[in-house]
Amino acid sequence: MTQTAVGVLLVVLSSLIEGVGEMFFKKSRLQPQRQIYWVSLGVSVFVVQMAVYTAALRFLAVGAAFAIASLSFAFVALLSKWFLREEVTPIKWLGIALIMLGTSLIGAYA
Amino acid sequence: MIGSRTPPPAGFPYKVAIGLALIIAMDTFVQLFWKIAAATLPETPSLEGISLAFHQPLFLLVVGLMICQLFVWLMVLGEADLSFAQPFFSLSRITVCLASVYFLQEIIASAQIVGIALVCAGAWCISRTARNTAREGDAPS
Repeated sequence: MTQTAVGVLLVVLSSLIEGVGEMFFKKSRLQPQRQIYWVSLGVSVFVVQMAVYTAALRFLAVGAAFAIASLSFAFVALLSKWFLREEVTPIKWLGIALIMLGTSLIGAYA
Repeated sequence: MIGSRTPPPAGFPYKVAIGLALIIAMDTFVQLFWKIAAATLPETPSLEGISLAFHQPLFLLVVGLMICQLFVWLMVLGEADLSFAQPFFSLSRITVCLASVYFLQEIIASAQIVGIALVCAGAWCISRTARNTAREGDAPS
């Protein structure tokens, strides 16, 4: 596996981890009686995410990593739909797609 | 079950709008301060570098701002869906880009201006959708 492929995989993994962390934060508001548990879990997951993202930067340029990291918007939408039963309508998907494209352009030329 | 619900609320109540605006503002300062503070650290990562970072007032400010962000974010998530609120976080990439031009004299490329327009369009699309559709009873624990 090339160094670039390792970098891409690590950024995709860090985006997925970010989505999971965000889901835990939302769970803390849906289950107030277990708020500390979910928030602690969310913070721990974010520490792991930062470590994975930092590792990815050893293999990829920041601009490329930033562009791929916009996948987190899609992961958050999917996880919210599957695990939190949120409504993700076609217009929301369109908005997410535009944001992913926009943040990729901003990051790629940074 | 969805059919028996009252229609989910759309748009922005003040609490969500103010919360998101605060998060975007704090994230902008976090990114700027982080970049300024990182420039003062040695290039090779080391334990000494990490220890040095924790003695830097700007790094401590960054950590403080991140903690504040977390509290405001949790407040926002209490009022809105994750899939509704999280995409608005992307607006901070625009403010960071503009702040870098203003404070750090960085140059903005024309492709970035197109990116800013696309992010704004995406955020507008999402602002048209229902804000709070998740229910504790529906979500698996």
